[in-house]
Amino acid sequence: MKRLSRRQLLAAAGSAAATAALAPYVHAWGHDKLKVGLIGCGGRGTGAAEDCLRSSPDVELVAIADLFPDRLAGCRKNLTDPNRDGGPLAVKLDDDHCFTGFDAYQKLLALDEIGLVLLATPPGFRPIHFAAAIEAGKHVFFEKPVAVDAWGAKKVIQFGEIAAKRGLGVVAGTQRRHQNSYLETMKRIHDGAIGEIVSARCGWNQGALWVHERKKNESDMEWQVRNWLYFCWLSGDHIVEQHVHNLDVCNWALKGHPVKAVGVGGRQVRTEPKYGHIFDHFTIDYEYAGGVHMTSMCRQQNGTDGWVGEQIIGTTGASDPGGSISGSSSWRFKGENPNPYVVEHRDLIVSIRDGKPLNEAGQVAESTLTAIMGREAAYTGRIVSWDSLLKADASLAPKSYEFGPLEVPAVPVPGRKAR
Amino acid sequence: MNDTPIKIGLVGCGGRGTGAAENCLQSAKNIEIVALADMFPDRLNGCRKYLADTKHAGVKIEDKNCFTGFDAYQRILDTGVELVLFATPPGFRPMHVEAAVDAGKHVFMEKPVAVDPVGCRKILEIGKKAEQKKLTVVAGTQYRHQEGFMQCMKRVHDGAIGDVRAGRIYYNGGGAWHYDRKPAESDMEFQIRNWYYYDWLSGDFIVEQHIHTIDVMVWAMKGPPMRATATGGRTQRVGPKYGNIYDHFAVDYEYPGGVHILSMNRHWDGAPGHVGAYFHGSKGMAMPYGVKKEWASEITGPNAWTYAGPATLGSAYVTEHADLIASIRSGAAVNESKQVADSTLTAIMGRQAAYTGKTVTWDEMTKSLIDYSPDEYVFGPLPERPVPMPGKV
Repeated sequence: MKRLSRRQLLAAAGSAAATAALAPYVHAWGHDKLKVGLIGCGGRGTGAAEDCLRSSPDVELVAIADLFPDRLAGCRKNLTDPNRDGGPLAVKLDDDHCFTGFDAYQKLLALDEIGLVLLATPPGFRPIHFAAAIEAGKHVFFEKPVAVDAWGAKKVIQFGEIAAKRGLGVVAGTQRRHQNSYLETMKRIHDGAIGEIVSARCGWNQGALWVHERKKNESDMEWQVRNWLYFCWLSGDHIVEQHVHNLDVCNWALKGHPVKAVGVGGRQVRTEPKYGHIFDHFTIDYEYAGGVHMTSMCRQQNGTDGWVGEQIIGTTGASDPGGSISGSSSWRFKGENPNPYVVEHRDLIVSIRDGKPLNEAGQVAESTLTAIMGREAAYTGRIVSWDSLLKADASLAPKSYEFGPLEVPAVPVPGRKAR
Repeated sequence: MNDTPIKIGLVGCGGRGTGAAENCLQSAKNIEIVALADMFPDRLNGCRKYLADTKHAGVKIEDKNCFTGFDAYQRILDTGVELVLFATPPGFRPMHVEAAVDAGKHVFMEKPVAVDPVGCRKILEIGKKAEQKKLTVVAGTQYRHQEGFMQCMKRVHDGAIGDVRAGRIYYNGGGAWHYDRKPAESDMEFQIRNWYYYDWLSGDFIVEQHIHTIDVMVWAMKGPPMRATATGGRTQRVGPKYGNIYDHFAVDYEYPGGVHILSMNRHWDGAPGHVGAYFHGSKGMAMPYGVKKEWASEITGPNAWTYAGPATLGSAYVTEHADLIASIRSGAAVNESKQVADSTLTAIMGRQAAYTGKTVTWDEMTKSLIDYSPDEYVFGPLPERPVPMPGKV
């Protein structure tokens, strides 16, 4: 396995920044078949590929990449299955278009024929993969979250700006932004249906997720990447990995990001070593400009009550932005609500073909940073400001990407020391 | 009327009990503290010496009126006292106050007044009994006697901020004292001396401490919330000497009309503190704790107002006793039992939501059979309940 250092990856990303101001990237997608590559062949990546292929005509998946041969083989079998539900997909995956290893994404991005890449690896890899994809002149669909630390989020913002200059489309997997019920409700909120926004709440409370039991002879690196949910450098903790959806909705409603956060959290129930070092619950008090506060609560604890959603509270009413408004302008969404996981791809591809590419990089990077800010508030016990977060340059990524020893960081203890 | 001395007994001779006795002596003329009760002779003697050192003429504690042990609270009732101050660990409160009211005594009781729903119902029952007997019962939720808070709340109730649409209450601090176990100390003695860290004695710190701020919420909202959903745990303050309580809670309290109030409290050493309450209305905000100055309660918006009277933060501890004594002397009994029982149960509801990971309703709490009291009060073995695990409780 080729060993790639983080320094090398950063150097590659930096050179793209230097050349970004060159001529816009031009491709006549309006008439060509749009060829797609998938990086990250897990459940979400496989799902994203299908959603993309089902979303639009003249789209074909031609290459896939994953760290692990078994995950790649599973995805390839799944997507090429002629008997799959909904009929066969437009997939042509030759052996020489299937790549594994830490540098698989580079090999895939080197294929000139590919116009659009789907990035669905564990989020810790996302900023590096995104930068490389933009550098390679590809349009991008990337799953949320788009980073696990401020360093990565800033990288995404930077390359999002480069993508805009080069005419590249960027859509993120925060699918509520492409869901009619949300779009219609949010329009009403922004038009004043609940008066001025006074407060907001959001939550992602649920039970525990999957875990892979460690196999014999599995290196630390392999074990961690396969169990990526439970390691902060890979998932960003569950507030970032999962709850970012709801935080993104609140930012959308409030037309901006919070200015600071204070929080509590911990690892109360899910404490075995196989669950890495992340927390199992967070509650964050976010403050936005103008003194509006938003309460965020998320947990992954079996046997507890669930809630996934958002509530926006105004001076004259309140709203579940997923489709209803109560108060003086009471209303309920009753229109068509097509599958947003498909619509997000259609919107991206239409925008590319129309020559007006969408660019959601900044928006999803801000929501990712919002989640990171909450996590850091709970991890440290401090009041974490947006400005201080943006000044942080430390990356959580390991020094090098290779299968070998990789220490599990200690579970954070708030109040004890700075991270 | 002020010529008749009021004789007072104190049950619970720790720091807060000693402070309450001193506050009471400062609050009015012709107050005499004549009897003390505590579980432990050393705590009683410390309190007695402190009070003697104040040289206050009202300190008249004879040896025969000093009682220790589990039954000290009963024996103090036969000393001719008219008013009893209760400041033991809260787990004892319902049992102790019941005996006092049954004996026809006026009561000052420190907050919280119970640690479980069964105890809260007992306080409600005692409160009714006190009402029938025209006895005064005042609680140590002193903001209710603090001028700035009172004026601020009146304005909120009069509509100064329109409808309350959301709110936030905080009691974020660094933690509390703890007591190191001595060799040969029984479980019971150790737990009572280290009472802060045991559910059956303190009710956990959301009940023991944050009740102050929760009481302000219940006051502003004119009653307890409908339900609570919460997270909590033990993240920093771990280890056996910290018993079985949590070190952080975050509760989403819900009121009718979709109004939610975030409650956050933590004991995290090294993390910044914050005690406050904020009510966001349809036109403006109320901040009873004040922001510019701690005692300067404030309202923003079209009816902006800032409390301009004297600083009352510390003196409210005396005012609550002055109000109590005035009520006894005038014969117009004051009874805060229900108010403080409701606030205590609201705190307990938040705790149970965090302990269980379930959404807990007020209705459930008013019927709950949760009772933390030990089977018997004797110095001996007393296994502690494990730290609660949400989803498994």
